[in-house]
Amino acid sequence: MDGVKERLNASVRRKLSLALTLVIALMALVAGALSFVAAYDEAQELQDDVLRQTARLVDARRLTVQPVPSDGHFKDHDDAARLIVQALGKANPGGLSVDDGGALPVPTQLADGLHTLTLQGEAFRVLVRTLATGERFVVAQEADFRDAMARDSAVRTVLPFVVLVPVLLLVVATLVRQLFRPISALAQGIDRRAEQDLHPIDERPVPSEVRPFVRAINRLLGRVAQDMESQRRFVADAAHELRSPLTALSLQAERLQQAPISAAAQERLAVLREGIQRGRLLLEQLLSMARAQQPSQAPAAPASVQGVLRHVLEDLMPLAHAKQIDLGVVGAPDVRVAVSPLDLHTLVKNLVDNAIRYSPVGGRVDVSVQAQAGGVVLCVQDTGPGIAPAERERVFDAFYRTVGTGQSGSGLGLSIVRAIALRIGARVSLDWSDEAAQRGLKVRVTIPLA
Amino acid sequence: MRVLLVEDDPMIGDAVQGALKDASHAADWVRNGQTALTTLACQHYDLVLLDLGLPGKDGQDVLAALRAKGNAVPVLIITARDGLDERLRGLDGGADDYLLKPFEMAELLARMRAVLRRKGGSGTPLLGNGVLTLDPATRQASVLDGAPVQLSHREFSLLHALLIRPGTILSRSELEDRIYGWGEEVESNAVEYLIHALRRKLGSELIKNVRGVGWMVSRSV
Repeated sequence: MDGVKERLNASVRRKLSLALTLVIALMALVAGALSFVAAYDEAQELQDDVLRQTARLVDARRLTVQPVPSDGHFKDHDDAARLIVQALGKANPGGLSVDDGGALPVPTQLADGLHTLTLQGEAFRVLVRTLATGERFVVAQEADFRDAMARDSAVRTVLPFVVLVPVLLLVVATLVRQLFRPISALAQGIDRRAEQDLHPIDERPVPSEVRPFVRAINRLLGRVAQDMESQRRFVADAAHELRSPLTALSLQAERLQQAPISAAAQERLAVLREGIQRGRLLLEQLLSMARAQQPSQAPAAPASVQGVLRHVLEDLMPLAHAKQIDLGVVGAPDVRVAVSPLDLHTLVKNLVDNAIRYSPVGGRVDVSVQAQAGGVVLCVQDTGPGIAPAERERVFDAFYRTVGTGQSGSGLGLSIVRAIALRIGARVSLDWSDEAAQRGLKVRVTIPLA
Repeated sequence: MRVLLVEDDPMIGDAVQGALKDASHAADWVRNGQTALTTLACQHYDLVLLDLGLPGKDGQDVLAALRAKGNAVPVLIITARDGLDERLRGLDGGADDYLLKPFEMAELLARMRAVLRRKGGSGTPLLGNGVLTLDPATRQASVLDGAPVQLSHREFSLLHALLIRPGTILSRSELEDRIYGWGEEVESNAVEYLIHALRRKLGSELIKNVRGVGWMVSRSV
């Protein structure tokens, strides 16, 4: 019961439907009851009028009220429908019951006017009248019949209500659902949005009552976008600002190396310079990340995958040579994708850089490109330890490192890849490159065709 | 040569000035744009190293003022700003090259040499990457300080193509384009044959194969 109540409270649509349904049902009930009573009374009144007019007829025509012979033709008719006209105070000849043509035993002292009496075990409506001659007579009718007639006509009055109310409820429910459709469409639209899609909601198709709400959401979206932008800019600015001191550090260290210092100092200096180098790498990756998170601009021209691949290899060949890694490309048709060359370069470079970093000395890194129906599939495979399925989601988090690899990367490579993939609508999946041995990382990036 | 360094960061300025002196250049160091313009007005320099983020007058403004006065001194911008528009503004504004912080001193010196070579119009005919040197006049190649080796026309064409921009990977068809003239019939395996010959003459490590893409020589060291 609580659940139902909660659902009702949560949904204006349900609430409105239920309230309208209840009100309509109640109104129909009251209106039906009133109509029934009114129609019933009207029918009774009508039949009383029949009694009165009959009496007036007898009076005006000076008809004498004579007992009807017991074999009268009334027998053919429905007993219940008949009107009985008889003189008051006459003895009942033969003591016959009224159904057999006998007179009604109406009490003689009855006053003029309408009465409801129970005679011979049946209810009768009786009109008593005194003629100008002083003669009194009664016009009577069986009450059961009258009631049945009245009920019948009353039911006929109520019938349309009974038929139309369910139809009305159905119409109300449909109408309410129709009215709320723009709102559910709006909700679905917002649900389908990409993570970084913060553009304002179109308020035109929304009903005017909901518009202030949509405007408020738009203002909130605006503030969130502004906030995200200022955070992103802060990271970029911070990284930029770090460039100068880092340059100073690395230049000074470089100078120090040329100064006459002891062999031990030289050794320490080499470690120091390595540290500075790591700082530089992290800085570049931070800037790369900030760029990757920027809202996408439409690419000027589609990038040639092969051209980008070649530039990445040119950049990373020295690193691969230093580790004696066999870095190469396997069957790369020259396909073009609707991605800015800079984005594609950053994405591929981070993947290949990771592959070289995590492969052992003398390992092998393969890059391949395939054009498929669903898009262009770019695949980078290495001979490193790979990533266990349990960790495959988490490695995309910034600064997350898998345990036991002993690598000193920036921890941002895959985050950058993910940010770019999100921006260009690409899909990234991780797998073993050697399924049987459960070793090596295989990264597949599926870039949709423009 | 005489170099003017415009840099507001004391640590960077100190290190660069010291390194320039070590490399036998006369280096003057000023810390803001206004002083730079004044100095340049009364003293001749062979090269200006210009930081963009200067207090007071910005580096771009200094460059604009300099070029407006008709001063054609070679300018190399050194900056932490990596935006594409910033770079384009600098180069379109009359800078000769653009170096991003952080950088290594060796790269700065190499770029300075390159700027002067281009500016002077007396581009040295020798090509090389620090290990290998190629003289187009004589078609002779030498490794480090070893004796020059005479190359055939096609060997020379191939090595020349690779040495124009060391570190660039060239595919087989690109190399074939360089070694064969129009209408000449391309022999199969010619590239492999020439590379084999070059490796025999100059050592096997100089020309590197990049599996599935092509060949390259290492970038300048």
